[in-house]
Amino acid sequence: MTVSTIPLDRTAPVGFSKGPALALIVLLLAAGLPLVTQDSFFIHSAIMVLFFAYMATAWNFLCGYVGQLSLGHAMFSGMGGYVSVLLFTTFGLSPWLGMIVGGLAAAALSVVIGYPTFRLKGPYFTLTTIAFAEIVRIWVENTDTFLGFHIKGAEGLVVPMVGESFAAFQFGGKIPYYYIILGMLALAILATLIMERSKLGYCLKAIRGDRDAAEALGISPTRYTLTAFAISAFMTALGGSFYAQFFRYINPERNMGTELSIDMALMSIIGGQGTAFGPLIGALILTPLAEVTRGYLGGTFLGLHLVIYGIVLMLAVLYFPKGVLEPLKNLAVGLFRRRNPA
Amino acid sequence: MDPFILSFAVVNGLLQGGIYGGIALGLSLIFGVLRVVNFAHGSFLMLSLYLSFWCWNLLGIDPYLSAIVTVPAMFALGYFVQSVIISPLIRRERALVVEPLSALLLTCGVFLVLDNVALMAFGPDVRSVQLSYYLPSLMLGPIPVNIPRLIAALAAILVAVGVSFWLRHSHAGRAIRATAQNRDAAAMSGIDVPKVYAVTFGLGCAILGLFGALISPFIPATPTIGLAFGIKSFIVVVLGGMGSIPGSIIGGLVIGVFEAVASQFVTATSAAIFSLGLFILVLLVRPAGIMGKA
Amino acid sequence: MSNHRLQRTTANKSNLLTGALTFGALTFYASFAFAQAAPTVTIGCVLPLSGGSASVGSQTKVGAEIAVDQINREGGIKSMGGAKLNVVFGDSQSKADIGVTETERLVTRENVAALCGAFNSAVTFPATEVAERYKTPWVVVGAVKDEITERNFKYVFRINNKANYDAREQVDAIDLLSKETGKKPKTLGVIYEGTDWGRSHAANIKKFASERGYSVVLDEAAPPNQVDFSNQLLKVRSTKPEALIVAFYTPDHLILSRQLMEQRLDVPFGIHSVGGGTEDPAFYKAVPPRAVGYYFVQEDFQIDITEVTKDPMILEADKRSKEVLGYPMSAYTAQGLSGVYVIKDALERAGSADRTKLRDALAATDIKSGPALATGYQQIKFDEQGQNTHAHGAISQNIEGKRRTVWPAENRAPGVKPSWPVPTWSERPNS
Repeated sequence: MTVSTIPLDRTAPVGFSKGPALALIVLLLAAGLPLVTQDSFFIHSAIMVLFFAYMATAWNFLCGYVGQLSLGHAMFSGMGGYVSVLLFTTFGLSPWLGMIVGGLAAAALSVVIGYPTFRLKGPYFTLTTIAFAEIVRIWVENTDTFLGFHIKGAEGLVVPMVGESFAAFQFGGKIPYYYIILGMLALAILATLIMERSKLGYCLKAIRGDRDAAEALGISPTRYTLTAFAISAFMTALGGSFYAQFFRYINPERNMGTELSIDMALMSIIGGQGTAFGPLIGALILTPLAEVTRGYLGGTFLGLHLVIYGIVLMLAVLYFPKGVLEPLKNLAVGLFRRRNPA
Repeated sequence: MDPFILSFAVVNGLLQGGIYGGIALGLSLIFGVLRVVNFAHGSFLMLSLYLSFWCWNLLGIDPYLSAIVTVPAMFALGYFVQSVIISPLIRRERALVVEPLSALLLTCGVFLVLDNVALMAFGPDVRSVQLSYYLPSLMLGPIPVNIPRLIAALAAILVAVGVSFWLRHSHAGRAIRATAQNRDAAAMSGIDVPKVYAVTFGLGCAILGLFGALISPFIPATPTIGLAFGIKSFIVVVLGGMGSIPGSIIGGLVIGVFEAVASQFVTATSAAIFSLGLFILVLLVRPAGIMGKA
Repeated sequence: MSNHRLQRTTANKSNLLTGALTFGALTFYASFAFAQAAPTVTIGCVLPLSGGSASVGSQTKVGAEIAVDQINREGGIKSMGGAKLNVVFGDSQSKADIGVTETERLVTRENVAALCGAFNSAVTFPATEVAERYKTPWVVVGAVKDEITERNFKYVFRINNKANYDAREQVDAIDLLSKETGKKPKTLGVIYEGTDWGRSHAANIKKFASERGYSVVLDEAAPPNQVDFSNQLLKVRSTKPEALIVAFYTPDHLILSRQLMEQRLDVPFGIHSVGGGTEDPAFYKAVPPRAVGYYFVQEDFQIDITEVTKDPMILEADKRSKEVLGYPMSAYTAQGLSGVYVIKDALERAGSADRTKLRDALAATDIKSGPALATGYQQIKFDEQGQNTHAHGAISQNIEGKRRTVWPAENRAPGVKPSWPVPTWSERPNS
């Protein structure tokens, strides 16, 4: 573990000074995109990329920094979506408030689940998260009403159209949704950057490096990992709410299923887990890749895009264990150094 | 509850549990030796089911005889996957310590590739072997016992006994056990650790090859069938104790009987929730499982 | 219409711009080159081509392709100077978000005149909303969720049944057979997969059963992709329903049917399956014929259509299906075929690929003959919500190895005599 932290330290100063500036430029470029093109399919695809980048960033907040692989995060996404939609359809509560409530509920659930399971190591933790998420999904699929709320089982929930209204999270075009998810992603990355530099971030790094040593230094692994888990679940739930409002339809199979969890993890891992921008890079690579293979080959070769996913994953694990962000960064640093010889 | 229905449920549970246990053997063996959680376990079973089906469909080989083909083929595939895909990971890590998560991710990639290559190659249609002869049910009093299922369940116990015996008494088996206990020490005493790993992985897959042939008379082949058995295998192995050969069979029988009896009182969906709950409970309370060393 | 053209040209210009950014340029040039060669009308079809429902999606795809080939061979769209039909597919993977994204792509990138699909209700429901927003007609193929044609949409048309029709027809058939023979089951069992489809079907069955005086003694959901049904069958054994309603897809249905046979479990008034696995031809290739003897199967397709129709296109489609897929035309293939023919009929009458004109033509659809009726309907005519009010399923019984339609009585071929109640296992030959 100590060996692997050396390259991180070497690039850290570069990332620290140039990182926020670079992020600002990227953000401004992204914000300007709708000025260049209003093409609906392009904006739609961009929203999907940003959505997955956001979800991967939320996953990364916990898993990337604690070094635990959760394949159950979809349950938080589903919870966020369900709570915000149910509050909207039952009480007319604005989804903006509903998504906060959903996020808090997901955070509470994460603490309940996380408290006993964080002692589990490696694959044991992963398998437990899958099991928890499957329990939640199967239960929702087979429950019609719960506490008086009509959760409608496997049928899923439809968000009724009420016309364009900011309070109802319903807009005519796609561009408002684009800015909302862009803002959410920017906040999530910002939260990650702040966390990295906070006590929480240092403690998580210490716990990841050597849990026992960290404990000996007086760092409570449970406290810090649970804090990160709760924040990660909260962010994931907000993403789930966004999905529900954007598509105005959610069901347990998609919004709580293992596939969504795997997608979140894959993008983060391939991009570079434990880095603020890795998940974004992962989503930028994988989402268009899936779209292109599906669009041009999906009708001919069934499942080809998933084969490519699998191969990319294997190559990434074998050759870019820290994600593709690291070599990209080194490349950028190399170019930078050549231009300005020290 | 009617005692007849209850005893019927127990018989069903034992049959199904034996099959679960036999299928989970390879997963447990590979974890015990390599510390690799093989996410693609179910995909290997899916491939052996297809192999058995094609042997019957194209060459007219009886599904039971097709084991002659599936066992060596799956051994070769397992050997290949370990030595080409997973071993670079092991080589990269110093002192042959695999980071369990990287291995899990790697096998997750194998799972995605295998399941979808099967979809591309064989198409989404369900396929199934049809036995040319009729095996009547064995009557255990008033309870009919399906012969192909009984064969598979008994084979699970035989294979478990055979593998345990081989690990204990053969030279290769001792090398595998030595590597499982301490890879560094094993390497220093002249054991070719990468080869032991590849053989173990191959053996784990060869067992799946056998069960692919044994269950093909009653389980249809589809590109997604692996996942259902894969998840069950994880539950069984955790319950019995990761890495324990007898634990795998006992875990299988416990989960089989548990589900069969529980299903008589609640719906199958609730029974599925219960067995996942049991899985979590075992991991939290006794992570070593029933047969593992705590 | 000219206004619409204008919109399209601007869309094409921005296509060029963004196409360079994405890989969209590829198709754009492809379709551009195509358009110059011959007048072409492109239609899109969103289907589950990978994932759990891939088998259904690929059969529907083959049906649509056969229809397009036939139409082009017979001279294309005659009112449009023999314009050729071109169909492009989008893979929804049975996921709502991906179905919506593919719909966006087909509408804005492929400039489709009309859409069809998408089998899964969970995909069709949000995807048709996209079509409505773009004022692009969508002909629903396969999806049965009631609400799809209950939203006052102008551009959404459904040829096939709503979900609650399926359940009603099954109970109707039991009523009919009881009336014909004077032997009536008193108790029903329902066993189904715990998904949207299975659960809503079970709920509808329970509603109709209580209305018609049957008591439901077994109500059992199972998660999809079971590997063993002995536990559920034991429940059937202990609750003894006189007729069993089943809703499962192919792999589950296969295991269930096999185990019913192995355990020699008698259900006096038979197994009543609502499509799913039992309308998939791959199922019949994989299951021992004895296991599905006397099965009642409700589907949106008249299984013995090729024995009662004289339409050469339907007969040819059946032959082509055998060549391409290895089995005769299925409900899914027929639905794909029918969907494309319904669009073709509207194109002929609209004389234009303009989406609004095509929508108006679709709304005025009144088909009484031809290959659009491959599913066994007598007529296709949409109500103001876009629902084909003449949709009905057909129920077949597997009698002596052949699936013959027994309900509705008017679709029953001469000489077909339903077996009611069904023989017990010990009464059946060679068992």
